[in-house]
Amino acid sequence: MELFDYFLNALTPFNLMLAVVGVVLGTVVGALPGLSATMAVAVLVPFTFTMDPAAGLIALGAIYTGAIYGGAFAAILVNTPGTPSSIATTFDGYPMARRGDGGLAVTLATLASVVGGLIGGFSLLFLAPPLARVALAFGPPEYFWLALFGLTLISALSVGNTLKGLIGACIGLLLSMVGVAVVGGDVRFTAGFPAFLGGIDIVSALIGLYCVPVIIDLVATRDPHLKVEHGHEGMRLREAFGIAWRDKFNVVRSSIIGTVIGILPGAGGSIAGLVSYSEARRSSPRSSEFGKGEPGGVIATEAANNATVGGGFIPTLVLGIPGTPPDAIILGALLVQGIKIGPTLFSSEGHVVYTFIFGLLIATAIMLPVGLLIGRYAYKSVVAVPKAMLVPTVALLTVIGSFAIHSNLQDAQIMFGLGVISWILGRNGYDASPIVLGIVLGAIAEQGFVQTYLIGNATNNLGGMFFGRPISIGIIVAATLTLAYPFYAEWRAKRRGQVPLGAVAAQAEGHPANIQTAPVQPTVRARSHDWSGVIIAAVLVVIAAVMFREARGMSVMGSVFPTAITLGLGGLSLVLILLGVLGRGHPATTPDAQGASSIRRVLVVVTFGLWVWLIPVLGFATTSLIAFIAMAFIAEHDPVPAKTLMIRGIVAMVTVGVFWWIMNDVLLLRIPGGFLI
Amino acid sequence: MRFLKTTILAAATLAMTTAMPVSAQSAADFPTKSMTYILPFNAGGESDISARFQQAHWKEVTGQDVVVQYQPGGGGAQAWSQLNGIAGDGYTIMGVNLPHIILQPMASEVGYKTDDLVPVHMFHYTPDALLVAKDSPYETLADLVEYAKANPGMTTFAGSAVNSANHVAQVTFDGLAGIQSTYIPFSGTGTATPALLGGQTVGYWGYSTVLASQGDQVRMLAVATEERMPAFPDVPTFKELGYDLVSGAYRGVGVPASTPEELRTRVSDIIEEINQNPDFRKQMEDAAFVLTDITYDKMGDFMAKQKAAYEGAAEVLGIGK
Repeated sequence: MELFDYFLNALTPFNLMLAVVGVVLGTVVGALPGLSATMAVAVLVPFTFTMDPAAGLIALGAIYTGAIYGGAFAAILVNTPGTPSSIATTFDGYPMARRGDGGLAVTLATLASVVGGLIGGFSLLFLAPPLARVALAFGPPEYFWLALFGLTLISALSVGNTLKGLIGACIGLLLSMVGVAVVGGDVRFTAGFPAFLGGIDIVSALIGLYCVPVIIDLVATRDPHLKVEHGHEGMRLREAFGIAWRDKFNVVRSSIIGTVIGILPGAGGSIAGLVSYSEARRSSPRSSEFGKGEPGGVIATEAANNATVGGGFIPTLVLGIPGTPPDAIILGALLVQGIKIGPTLFSSEGHVVYTFIFGLLIATAIMLPVGLLIGRYAYKSVVAVPKAMLVPTVALLTVIGSFAIHSNLQDAQIMFGLGVISWILGRNGYDASPIVLGIVLGAIAEQGFVQTYLIGNATNNLGGMFFGRPISIGIIVAATLTLAYPFYAEWRAKRRGQVPLGAVAAQAEGHPANIQTAPVQPTVRARSHDWSGVIIAAVLVVIAAVMFREARGMSVMGSVFPTAITLGLGGLSLVLILLGVLGRGHPATTPDAQGASSIRRVLVVVTFGLWVWLIPVLGFATTSLIAFIAMAFIAEHDPVPAKTLMIRGIVAMVTVGVFWWIMNDVLLLRIPGGFLI
Repeated sequence: MRFLKTTILAAATLAMTTAMPVSAQSAADFPTKSMTYILPFNAGGESDISARFQQAHWKEVTGQDVVVQYQPGGGGAQAWSQLNGIAGDGYTIMGVNLPHIILQPMASEVGYKTDDLVPVHMFHYTPDALLVAKDSPYETLADLVEYAKANPGMTTFAGSAVNSANHVAQVTFDGLAGIQSTYIPFSGTGTATPALLGGQTVGYWGYSTVLASQGDQVRMLAVATEERMPAFPDVPTFKELGYDLVSGAYRGVGVPASTPEELRTRVSDIIEEINQNPDFRKQMEDAAFVLTDITYDKMGDFMAKQKAAYEGAAEVLGIGK
């Protein structure tokens, strides 16, 4: 049995050690927003040059799969996806953590990630050559429809407030167009800043849109960040197994979706998570609970995104076409090792490939104990750390994370700006999630659309290109179902005399940036004027008009999408203004918890702003230390004894120092130094 | 803010140059710590693979490691527009690509001008090539040209990005062959190759490297070199088929403009030395890269020639001026 020999090869102590170290390192990197799998793999590739090829690959694969898994921690505990793959984890993971089920959510994420990773890995082991054909069957029209399918999730995420959800999506889509267009080559919406040429980085946008509002709201009250009920402090493994078993179809379906989407070179973990979340919600008997802390949502996303790891290696190894950026780096490492990628790889270099696949599977299995240990520690830390330390630490991570992507401070400034906008929008009923979906899916939708249009136009087959291809039809049907399902469920619920889904879902408004701590009152559908919503819509109409004018000056290819989306944004905003003036709007319901302090919110925003703009003047370490201490004071609501203050001061210095060292000496980032360091 | 940053940087550089004795900066000792090699693209492309090949030999040549970092965005423009803001101590180098750095500033305001950049060594180039999938009905370039002539506009070619080497090759060949084809831009080799293999487009304006990585899955109808490539003796050149097309994409490394002359030369020497390593040569040639040794002293002439050559291409693309 040849396969068994390869399995034993993968089990050498050295390989096992690499797998453990890789998974631990990957999980930590993934849990820190902004430090991505790509970055970790890129830094470590040179170390593998001197290793045996299979061992090197195992190390890189373990880091990669660990990082995709680790992204769930930040998503659950601080509402910030550690990697774009865990965007949909925030939808239910964070509400779970807020209500005291954080340990359970982390455990579920671990179980789902391990199963998803194993299913992806076994697909790679047994089905790689046939599955690789999927990568080729997906052409521009399929990518376009897949992105649209992802966008239909907005209708589900914003039940009861679809208009604001759609407006948010338009904002996200417009943000995704900033920079040099792949098709057309136009420089779009950069306002003359070279910093915007490369577009708004998805990761820094994610950090800003999701995490900054959390920081702003954290300082406002003295309530603990996460609630923990007595007896629920642990990881609740037994309970998690029960839930996962109940959701076994969800786990398997999400893993398969993740594997298939992972194979597509133009898609990636974020889409896999969103699509399987959408499917899980549609087919779940508890679909009205999704978005409010339904374990099924966490399970679906985490199973899918870890399945993309195995899936992504399929086209990488079989076709030499990397499925994701980390795959691309690993492909480069293989080439340096002198291994010829391609259809013959599995037979000619079987010992390397199969040893690696078994190594990846072993690393995935190791994630279970390692993940539970790290997860337990992370959860307990986030719960136990006083707010005065949690707020500045999370803020430091957002600055470092957004800076580290390109060693560029402007990314941190954009992150902060988007974050403040996101907080204001969130207060007025515009969720962050539709904006995020727009940013993530915009480029894929646009490129797919324009390429399809160009090919269809050249071959006189526009209709056939868009609507006549079997896979496209399948995706269109699935998208229509998802879109129509909330309305169908509403109708069914009414017929059965239950509370309509819309009324239930309306209570979840403001998700996920504004999870209400107070018990929600049933919404009374009285006429009310949504004046703040109207003012924001009026601003958006102006922005849409300005951008529409700019789009008129672009090339035909480059202007199609901006024109369509600006028109959409303008039109939707006008409808919202009309409804608001007529008193038919849906004002945001975000009752502040008692004693919420606006002055602290303003102070923390000002501190944050000074932080990201003063770094080039004072130097990274100095500015961060000052801002860290300032935020600690802003977040503290009670008098503190001098001894505690001393300890906190030391902790602040150590925290800033350690991160500075990691950035400067481990990741070798170019840190801006000012007058000081 | 930018002004302030520049001032501080300038002041710091000045302080360092005056404070340090000349011998301490001597290029002969360089480097004494690990270097950073920024690629303005995502992983997996030609720039990345050739840089990784270099990285494997970096230590034996310099005694120090090199760290490869990716800074994609705007087809490279984002990183290039920031290159001169980096300290010119020789420790940070950046991949530079032709025709990108010539055509991008011509096409639009991208935050840098061609002459702002300081390329110190161009170490290889990849010839343009016209490829079809293995099951394509077109066996030769003549077959494809015949089809394209009979069906104006209907022949679709995938390629990487707009105003790129692939795009220039497509419009230039259209003119030479008297055909009208449709160029479908993709975000890079990684998405254009599956489009060709999956039959989404008729052909692919790519590089010779695609044949090396895809093997018998694709057929290279012609390659834009002067002579046939040693690795592919059966593939004709455009020249021998009667089309005067010799073109491709050069890749090299650049340094910030503040880098002193001796360090520019030193970096150029390091790249040249790696280029002479037999293992490196074999890896590169197996992957269908063509090694070149355009060192720092030859760079002025080379860039002048390239700029003149791409003026015509820019006109055909309808950019510039």
